[in-house]
Amino acid sequence: MSSHKFNPEHVVHHLKHYLPSQTPLKDFIHHNSLHAFQEMAFYPAIFKARKIFGYHVTLSMNDYRKLYQTGRIKLEVVERVITNRKGIAEMEAWKEKMFRKSYTTQRLPRIGRLRARWKEQFHIDLDNAVQPLLFRLLCSYLDQGVALWHFPFEDKGLLDAVRQIEQNSLGSFFKSKRVRQMLFSPDCSMENLLQIVVGNPDYYELYLFDQQFTHRGWSGMVSAIEDNPTSVLYPKKIAFSDLIVLELLMEIDALDTLLGKKWEPLCANLSTPPPDLFADEPISEQEEVLSLWQDAFEWSYYDHVLAGVQLLQQQNNKKSQPQNPHFQAIFCIDERECSLRRHIEQVAPDCETYGCPGFFGVEFFFQPHNGKFYEKLCPVIVTPKYLIKEYNVPEKRKHDFLYSKYSHHFLLGFFISMVLGIWAAFKLFLDLFRPQMSPAISNAFAHMHINGELLIENQNPNHTENGLQVGFTVPEMATRVENLLRSIGLIKNFAPVVYVVAHGSSSANNPHHGAHDCGACSGRPGSVNARVFSFMANHPKVREILAQKGLVIPDTTQFLGALHDTASDDIVYYDEKILAKTNQQLHRENKELFEDALDLNAKERSRRFASINTKADIRKIRADIRKRSVSFFEPRPELGHGTNALCFVGNRSLTKGLFLDRRAFMNSYDYRTDPTGAILLNVMKPLPPVCGGINLEYYFSRVDNYKMGAGTKLPHNVMGLIGVANSSDGDLRPGLPLQMIEVHDPIRLLIIVEHYPDVVLKTIQAQPDLYQWFTLGWVHLMAIDPNTNQFYFFKNEQFVPYEPLEKGIAKSDDVHQLIETAKEMDTNYIVDATKENLPVHLID
Amino acid sequence: MLQQYLPYFALIPLIGLVLSLLPNNKQERLIFGLANATIITHIALALVFTIAWFMQPNAALSYKSFYLYKGEDANLFLDYYFDRMTLFYGVIASAIVFMVSRFSRYYMHREKGFKRFFNNLLAFYLGVNLIIIAGNFETMFIGWEIIGISSFFLIAFYRDRYLPVKNALKVFSVYRIADVFFLLAIWSSHHLFGKSITFIELPQLLASGIDKIQEHPVLFALLPINLLVVAMVKSAQLPFSSWLPRAMEGPTTSSAVFYGSLSVHIGVFLLMRTYPLWEANMAFKIAVVAIGLLTAFISGNIARVQSSVKTQIAYSSISQIGLMFAEVALGWHTLALLHFTGNAFLRTYQLLVSPSVLSYLIHDQFFNFIPPQHPNPHTVWGKVQLTLYAMGIKEWNLDWFLYRFLWSPPKKIGLVFRYLNSMALLVVFTLVFAGGLYASVSYYEQLPEMVERFLPEIFALIGVIVALKAFTERNSALIALSMVVLNQLFTALSINFNEHFTFNHILLYLSGIIVSGVIAFACLQRLKQEGEPIDLNDFQGHSYERPRLTLAFMLACLGLSGFPITPTFIGEDLILGHIHENQIPLTTLTALSLILVGLATMRMYARLFWGPHKKGYHEVAYRSS
Repeated sequence: MSSHKFNPEHVVHHLKHYLPSQTPLKDFIHHNSLHAFQEMAFYPAIFKARKIFGYHVTLSMNDYRKLYQTGRIKLEVVERVITNRKGIAEMEAWKEKMFRKSYTTQRLPRIGRLRARWKEQFHIDLDNAVQPLLFRLLCSYLDQGVALWHFPFEDKGLLDAVRQIEQNSLGSFFKSKRVRQMLFSPDCSMENLLQIVVGNPDYYELYLFDQQFTHRGWSGMVSAIEDNPTSVLYPKKIAFSDLIVLELLMEIDALDTLLGKKWEPLCANLSTPPPDLFADEPISEQEEVLSLWQDAFEWSYYDHVLAGVQLLQQQNNKKSQPQNPHFQAIFCIDERECSLRRHIEQVAPDCETYGCPGFFGVEFFFQPHNGKFYEKLCPVIVTPKYLIKEYNVPEKRKHDFLYSKYSHHFLLGFFISMVLGIWAAFKLFLDLFRPQMSPAISNAFAHMHINGELLIENQNPNHTENGLQVGFTVPEMATRVENLLRSIGLIKNFAPVVYVVAHGSSSANNPHHGAHDCGACSGRPGSVNARVFSFMANHPKVREILAQKGLVIPDTTQFLGALHDTASDDIVYYDEKILAKTNQQLHRENKELFEDALDLNAKERSRRFASINTKADIRKIRADIRKRSVSFFEPRPELGHGTNALCFVGNRSLTKGLFLDRRAFMNSYDYRTDPTGAILLNVMKPLPPVCGGINLEYYFSRVDNYKMGAGTKLPHNVMGLIGVANSSDGDLRPGLPLQMIEVHDPIRLLIIVEHYPDVVLKTIQAQPDLYQWFTLGWVHLMAIDPNTNQFYFFKNEQFVPYEPLEKGIAKSDDVHQLIETAKEMDTNYIVDATKENLPVHLID
Repeated sequence: MLQQYLPYFALIPLIGLVLSLLPNNKQERLIFGLANATIITHIALALVFTIAWFMQPNAALSYKSFYLYKGEDANLFLDYYFDRMTLFYGVIASAIVFMVSRFSRYYMHREKGFKRFFNNLLAFYLGVNLIIIAGNFETMFIGWEIIGISSFFLIAFYRDRYLPVKNALKVFSVYRIADVFFLLAIWSSHHLFGKSITFIELPQLLASGIDKIQEHPVLFALLPINLLVVAMVKSAQLPFSSWLPRAMEGPTTSSAVFYGSLSVHIGVFLLMRTYPLWEANMAFKIAVVAIGLLTAFISGNIARVQSSVKTQIAYSSISQIGLMFAEVALGWHTLALLHFTGNAFLRTYQLLVSPSVLSYLIHDQFFNFIPPQHPNPHTVWGKVQLTLYAMGIKEWNLDWFLYRFLWSPPKKIGLVFRYLNSMALLVVFTLVFAGGLYASVSYYEQLPEMVERFLPEIFALIGVIVALKAFTERNSALIALSMVVLNQLFTALSINFNEHFTFNHILLYLSGIIVSGVIAFACLQRLKQEGEPIDLNDFQGHSYERPRLTLAFMLACLGLSGFPITPTFIGEDLILGHIHENQIPLTTLTALSLILVGLATMRMYARLFWGPHKKGYHEVAYRSS
């Protein structure tokens, strides 16, 4: 900290940059946990974060060595990594370091060392004295509706609200008289308080970093709500700087109480200066070795996949898409749909499947019938100008009296506990032995009522609500439909019915349920988008415009919206009644095919669930999977994005016939329709932030589930409906819980684009933000030349040819056998857990 | 004849517990199978037993089964008792444990402590059954200790994080106070009735022994007060309430069974069970009603402003239990039983589904949100509301109160002795002890009467000082351990001078201590030899690398603190009996010693084996998480 002049605004800004940016849990947006370091290259960035904050940013040396011993990391790959990065001459030296040399594991993060001196010099535990009440105040202030009595004056800001209470009540949050006076004095500024606590302006910033990072969860939440006030429904005025001032006041209060009147500021007599938090330090040898291991770990998998893809192309069983497809289905790129698409293609060989981000190119806010708020249904970075309203919903929402807040009232609680107690016992018994959907379970299908109606077409652009246009006009619709169809290359050979299948996830007892929904819909089910898109694509006037632009959709073709529940493996179709007679007949047949595919998908998923026997009758498996999604006792209703590692951008033929074990995001794109890459840019733009964000969040939550993840779910306590903490006095836990990441291999995302490398290069260079993801190595990029099937890896700002090392890829003509015989992990320790992943197979 | 089957109510869970220790953690199916089989067998037995009981005239049953100690001077035995209340509590306990265990089978899947969880659940099941089927205080006390310790282990279930360990120790210290008050209750009942009493003979004893009671009015008043403190601690009544929300550190299912329902309601059971002892004591009854109602109101207020779900449930459960206290004191026992049933089930359910509150309430808010009104600060009612709000947020300073009056004093007093070198102290006091022992064996007859009269108190005082030193020791666990053992030796010596004919009692008392002490010492030596730190300045987290050693040391610590796994437990009971009813200072000192030595032992265990592991090769949690 060399700046001598303390600038509160600058420091607050700097601090906020490093804090976790997760917003309240009702919407779960995946993002890079180390977003603050994203301007640096991957390895220097993560190791810097490691030195400053003490995070584990890779697996441990021992883990890598064990993975090597079990064959998960391959020797050829290790050698290639060393050759590429260190030169072949250094081979033996680096191998020795990787395989045998022992390194110290003792290390002290830089954060917290200045503030640790309270304990060293004064023998007091300031955190214990301040945090419980501070967290309680913050939680109560931000509470969305747990407490029966809300924190008053939440419209005035945290500090003023506290002042109001202090002024008008007989109780006080402070023990020290001095602090109570300071609270109301005009000098109650951050700087003056720091003068009392720290004493030396050189260390103000460092002290604040130390202070806020002892509870990064709460600090991050305050900062996130300040930046996104609409991330909570019950509006709360809060400023991060208020939190700092309040905390400093509470620290003075605690110091006055613990040490009496006579205490000196922390830095009054500083003998040895604390370390500079952000000092640049070269990467150590140990870190270098870890990064070699991580590369080897990643490439052991990538190489295997690429070998499979290459083999598939060479065999030229490029399973050509059927000329007159029976039906077509557009899915989300989500890697959980990867297996469902495979099964559908298996049960209906003459169908076609496509993938695109699950908001289907239609961005809007959605207002459910009687809803008091809007929900955003598009990627987070987009701010829509449109509103879709639901009306004519025939049913009312059900309630569950066991959640009644009145049971916490001491008199009403008396009657409620007597009356509802026995009911609770009965309900618990049912929940254990006959789990079924109930109002307390987050139900993907409840997001939009199946029989409700939507106001989609805008007749008059002046029809607005709160600055949003209600519905889309015909030209606006046409643009969106055209963009989407062209991006996925669906411009001819339309089948009679084109399904637009969104996805969502139902789960019980799961505060992180939003993390299982569609990432492209801001962590919500995409049903409305699927329905809206289908409406647009069916609109005769839209079709007219499209035909003028050369995109002819036959009159017999109809689009049908649907929602796939990735937890229960059910599909619901919307607006079936609009189908023409012939299509209705086809739809009835197709539905059965979908059901068969869902059965198979359920079976494939069941192999990772201990409670389900994968060899059981397929109907039973399906029923068990369904039960799982409504079971209160099940902390893993589904496994979310666990194991995600790949992202394909290209024709389905690139991967059709490969068993990828649900690890690949798949975006349809046809290079033949886009020789210049004009469409490619729009296709690729959302991939790094959305898929890369998911991947990196899983990565960091996996490598340090304690500090960057949320730890095990089992002790979680819901705080103010905005987050979870471990105990009544604990800090919020951002990140992903253990149960979501235990199947995940922490490797970066590899995007594989089917196009000529020069076109891909030109495309990504067009947008610096996008380009940076690849140049800095937060996401890997590979191009496959459609003519030669040669791979090109993007490295040092250019594409260089890549030859897969692995030659033989296993073949299987029976995926079910493969699934039935797969091993289940012994423990969730990475070396055991990764054994659950199945290798790539060529399937017939 | 039916009564001879009563011991099986405790025996079945005991067998289940022992068997559940055998599998390894990965054998989840087997572990759950054992737990489930235990619970189902137990329920089946209870069912058959109950049917048979109803076919009889269904009077209360009592069965004296097993002598822990039999001598001319004292008898200690296990005694069982079965009546309507046993049946009621038993049915509910079994139902809840059955359902929660089933819930946990899936919920706990792949957890590192899967086995540990079920071991503790079965231990709890044993404990709770012992309490409700107990026919005398001694039997009940065993159950009490088992519940306490399984509770302690489940709070610290995530033993590699700081907060669970800190809170487990916090709860353990409050529990320890209750344990000692329980011992004092036993002590006063022995002196009051001149023997170890059973609950079934209580009404008759009270009716016939009026003169004896009138001889000891103080003891007769003290007995229910001791019991009340025990009940208040366990049921988190004012002023002890703040431990309950902080105990919710373990998996949600354990919080549901312990702090939502069964464990926290056991104070109500104790009051009902001992009702005959204080039925006629109007002042006491008024006090119980007052405590109950005050708790109901204040913790109701705290629940009202809580913004975290589990804390809210904890305080609303406490407030209902407050009402139950009042109901019991007013003699409305059927109502109390119904209230208990409803509350236990409701809070269990609410805790188990507490994570789903987020989606339920957010959804509700989405459709029904109306911004709440602020209180008007310019009106008196507004000021009252704001005051109640602020007090509720601060939990009426209850946590601060516990800190100030329970944890801070021993630390502060311990610090007074900080200038005394531990090693020197250890040597000097060991010599004093040797001298005392020698004197007691050889010169007992020749000691001047004055000296002899005060020697018990002096030695007890030294014991307290040693215990304080052990409690505040930071440098070496070996010294702390020696102090713990020395403290117990002084306790024995002090009692020995009090009544010189109790050598076999003392032997019983010390046998467990010595064995446990040797095991603990060996564990520490091993750690030291392997170059691991054994200082107590901070948490060391050795359990991460040495789970087996952790288990051995833990058993030794349980032995050292008089847990019913060694004869020390019996000895503890017996030697207390040798303190006379009029020796208030000696009683106080000995009680203090017992409290402190328990705390010192568990603190030493926790600091060494729990908490974040020091070595940096794996992930370690934040202190605040």
